[in-house]
Amino acid sequence: MMNIKRIIPQKTIGSWIITILMYILAITWLYPYIWMVMASLKPTPEIYHTGLFSGTLTMDNYQFLFDSAEKLNRPFLRSLFNSFFITLTVTFSVVISSAFIGYAMAKIEFRGREQINNFIIFQMVVPGMVLMIPLFVLIKQLGLINTYSAMILPVMMSGWGIFMIAQSFKGTPNDYIDAAKLDRASLRQIIFNLMVPLNKAIVAIVALFTFTGTWDNFMWPLIVMSDVDKMPLSVLLATFSKQYGTDVGPVMAGSVLQALPLVLLFIIFRKYFLQGMSLSLK
Amino acid sequence: MKIGNIDLGEIKESQIGAALAISFLLFNVVFWAYPFIWLVILSVTEWRFFDVPTFSGLKNFFIVLNDPEFWRSVWNVIRFLGYYVPIVLACSLGFAFGLQHIGRGKVFIALSFLVANISSGVAYSLVFEKIFSSTGPLNTFLADWFGFTIPWLSSPNMAMLSISLVVTWKFVGYYGLILYSGLVAIPQEIYDAAELDNTKPLTKLFKITLPMINAQLVMVLVFAITVAFGIFTEPYMITGGGPMESTNMPLLVIYETAFNRLQPSRAALMAIIIALVSYLAIKIMRKFLEKNVELV
Repeated sequence: MMNIKRIIPQKTIGSWIITILMYILAITWLYPYIWMVMASLKPTPEIYHTGLFSGTLTMDNYQFLFDSAEKLNRPFLRSLFNSFFITLTVTFSVVISSAFIGYAMAKIEFRGREQINNFIIFQMVVPGMVLMIPLFVLIKQLGLINTYSAMILPVMMSGWGIFMIAQSFKGTPNDYIDAAKLDRASLRQIIFNLMVPLNKAIVAIVALFTFTGTWDNFMWPLIVMSDVDKMPLSVLLATFSKQYGTDVGPVMAGSVLQALPLVLLFIIFRKYFLQGMSLSLK
Repeated sequence: MKIGNIDLGEIKESQIGAALAISFLLFNVVFWAYPFIWLVILSVTEWRFFDVPTFSGLKNFFIVLNDPEFWRSVWNVIRFLGYYVPIVLACSLGFAFGLQHIGRGKVFIALSFLVANISSGVAYSLVFEKIFSSTGPLNTFLADWFGFTIPWLSSPNMAMLSISLVVTWKFVGYYGLILYSGLVAIPQEIYDAAELDNTKPLTKLFKITLPMINAQLVMVLVFAITVAFGIFTEPYMITGGGPMESTNMPLLVIYETAFNRLQPSRAALMAIIIALVSYLAIKIMRKFLEKNVELV
């Protein structure tokens, strides 16, 4: 009886209407992305005056960003490189440091471990905005304003990353580690050849969320970076838009460049993103 | 000997563990504790980045408390929540209910909504700035079909609604899936029993469904309040805080105060106050709305 009851509503007309409605809404939610891509492929004067899929399609806006924008002191290609450099460095550093320290927190007994664990949890509840201005003061005292270090150093380690990885590592049976130790495996080997492959999902989650967070970070680089040659794409695009906002085509082409890496990552690794948000689709 | 060997290994290992922990602590001494000390110093001194900080006691505190722009930004958070909470709750509840009735394509639909959540703030803010602009596609559509346009970003009353619509667009997929995970956990037997009692649909919604997903609803509200106090990129990019300061949010005021008016002490104090107020707002919300629902 129960089972039949659960199956029946799936086939009523009402649920068909809901399904169709949900598809329409899903397309509506994608509309800003579709509009952004189409606008980036049209000459600026046509963007507001042609239908979504009509009008001349050209790569001129992208060509403008990569060729002519440099003359306006807006080196887009370079900022794309900066974004990748900063984001990959931070992600790499956070994953490695979280794996080692997370292992220590989960599997090694040492004095003060409990206190450090409490500190990490306390750190996670203090909102970042409170420390932003004093952190700027520190970066200024260190003479790091307008350097890559200003955007990389303060986020090279992450309490959240350590916490996530330690939680997951705790679930790996000690027998595996003891067996590896009997084979004279070094700490590096235990972490990279044993713990990381066994806890692949959580390492992927830490890497993906660190990547998207760093790529998307806007306020901090806006504060510490005024040198156009070292700006990440997000900040360069914002300053370009403030000055040349009427050039809708190039601005949209820049937005595509800024959004595309994250959208691709999301599509490829959707499983881990869902898991990381602790969501599931049953 | 062997036992001795393992013992030796253990000692070595605990030293490695301690060394790793110390590296983390050292990092935090520099990039967390030191700024924390500066935060305390800043809040009680007068300083303009270049000169020597001079002690000024509670002066900053009184200046901030009497700063109309600061209070305007707190008021704007309340206005934002006034638009955002009802809209985003209705949309994500609808999304969660809708998702329950979908047989095929559930993953595609969920991902279409979630991709808005995983995207760059600067990029989508620029897109919405164009979509909402006075001659943008939304107004063109309205003019063609209904013969009127809406001043989405140029009217002080509409601008905050537009910003909250953008933020709603971003978070509906995320909040909706949180609520959905609560919905699918409700045992069907409760609805079957209600069916036997001829319960009306609205009664079912308010007496069964919403109380049963109380934990998820509270979680969504905590996220919503956090977002409201911490929003920066959207108003900075789309409206710049205007028109007439109607979308000037706390982080914009803090940014302005610190880096355009060169008053880092006051800005730091504002950040402390905003953090405390948001903490308090969440606490109050939980006190009134959080219920321990148990199945007997």
